[in-house]
Amino acid sequence: MDQLNLEKMGIPTVTISSSEFIGLAKDTAIGQGAADLSFVIVPHPMGMIPLEEIRKKADLVFPEVLRMAIEWKPAAKLPPMKPVYPAGRLKWKGTVEDINRIFFEKGLSLGLPILPPTPERVAKVLKGTSRRPDELLGMVPPRMGALTVELVAIHAAMAGCKPEYMPVLIAALEALLDPRANWRGLTTTTATSSILVIVNGPVIYEIGLASRQGAAGSGHHANASIGFAINLIADIVGGSRPPTPDKSLLGGPGDFVCWVFGENQLALPQGWEPYHVDRGFKKTESVVTIMGVYPPVDNIDHWSMTPEEHINWWANLVTPLLSIGGPCWISQMEQPHIVALGPEHAQLIAGAGWSKDQFRRAFWEKARIPFSAWPKGCPNTDLLVKKLGPVNPDIPIPITLTPEEFQVVIAGGAGKHSHFFAPFPGCFPVSKPVKK
Amino acid sequence: MKNRTLRSGLTVFISLACVFALTPIALTKETKQEWQVLNPEGVVKIEPMNVNPHPPTLEGKTVMLRWNGKHNGDKFLEKVGELLIEKVKDIKIIKSWEVAPETVDPITGSQERSREFAKAIVKFKPDLVIGAQSD
Repeated sequence: MDQLNLEKMGIPTVTISSSEFIGLAKDTAIGQGAADLSFVIVPHPMGMIPLEEIRKKADLVFPEVLRMAIEWKPAAKLPPMKPVYPAGRLKWKGTVEDINRIFFEKGLSLGLPILPPTPERVAKVLKGTSRRPDELLGMVPPRMGALTVELVAIHAAMAGCKPEYMPVLIAALEALLDPRANWRGLTTTTATSSILVIVNGPVIYEIGLASRQGAAGSGHHANASIGFAINLIADIVGGSRPPTPDKSLLGGPGDFVCWVFGENQLALPQGWEPYHVDRGFKKTESVVTIMGVYPPVDNIDHWSMTPEEHINWWANLVTPLLSIGGPCWISQMEQPHIVALGPEHAQLIAGAGWSKDQFRRAFWEKARIPFSAWPKGCPNTDLLVKKLGPVNPDIPIPITLTPEEFQVVIAGGAGKHSHFFAPFPGCFPVSKPVKK
Repeated sequence: MKNRTLRSGLTVFISLACVFALTPIALTKETKQEWQVLNPEGVVKIEPMNVNPHPPTLEGKTVMLRWNGKHNGDKFLEKVGELLIEKVKDIKIIKSWEVAPETVDPITGSQERSREFAKAIVKFKPDLVIGAQSD
């Protein structure tokens, strides 16, 4: 919330929030250290109502705005901080079913069954990493829960992770804790966003992570339990639960288990490097890359015989308006988008002698719509002009500012599908090496 | 004698059959046990920040109306601005979307960007900022 940075710069603020979002606004303020902040609540909604109605709402709350502007004083204080390690212990009597019910009622699970994190179970999982259990990885937003390696192991145990999955899980979490991941935005948005986790390198085969047919789907223990552990941590340590502060309008399966798959490196076309090499790592390294994404678009091209024909499919499926079901925020034009090519589509492209760069450029040049198609009322069109130069109604607008923003991964198995993941605003791919 | 033997045998058979039939049910019934588990919540670790005192009056002050780009936020703030001018003597109203349009973005996306927006607003030296947030 930008008002918090204004406060840090010495400017007092009053924040207007609709009634449905005040909980998130207050949690965001607390998460950044402001135990109390001046808020005025307006009956929801504020957007998508006629001018007369929004002006009436301003009339209605104006006396409170004026009062807050001159009379408000902070009342609450943050609670004192406790040691982050070791984790506390909880005692109950019951069956496994009872423990699951208690955990769910207390907000300590997501609604799917978990394995109770007994000290013995957690100790066993901790053997999968040489990292110290008291090592603090970072604070998980928006609640700013302190995530130690021990706490990772607790959630890994709950999700049923084997000890050998811990290095991949820790690398994914280190990546999410990087500010470039925008984990806070991802877990509090109204959008149907989720976390995408791509794994490269020898660790795929060492732990049996799925990287081929149905890799991101059911039936793969490593992928599913790692994806489940990540979301357990996001919701429980990070406190991101619906309806507040997780404002996901509909939510989705990605809120339970993240997208987790290994790149299908065995299906890489000749001359194409693995994704992690594109991102600056050595082929022999094991790397985890995460990014906050919208649900993917599935390109079901079963017919093209040339890359050019295939690019036409992409151009009709994803554009600045279609990739996420609405106009992109201008900031997304400077964010990478993931093109997860199915092996057969990749072979079609590479078989014609195309490199990844050629594919990216062709995609970027073709997947455009004219400026005239931009909806009225879309914000920031003047920023669009700043970024692209003068635009007239016929100028075709690309999805991203440069073709390099399309990042290509080979994903999945036999069949003729590829997937396009648009980034959630402010989310950049972050890669971390896997450290045993 | 024969009948007695037969009856005894039948009784034993029926008893044994009941034991074998009921034992699986008894074995599968989950028993309650004492559980000790590690708390998955973790503790909150937040550095407190100071929030600023508000001016005792807005008379003669500069108030920035800050719109983040979400639909109708500007319309709402415009009305607030009109009312402030009507009710408060010598107040100066600045609209962020007019003087700093680069700060209009419904999803700031990063702390760094948020700080840039704040710096752009602070340049105008407002005594108070009223921000419309959602949604």
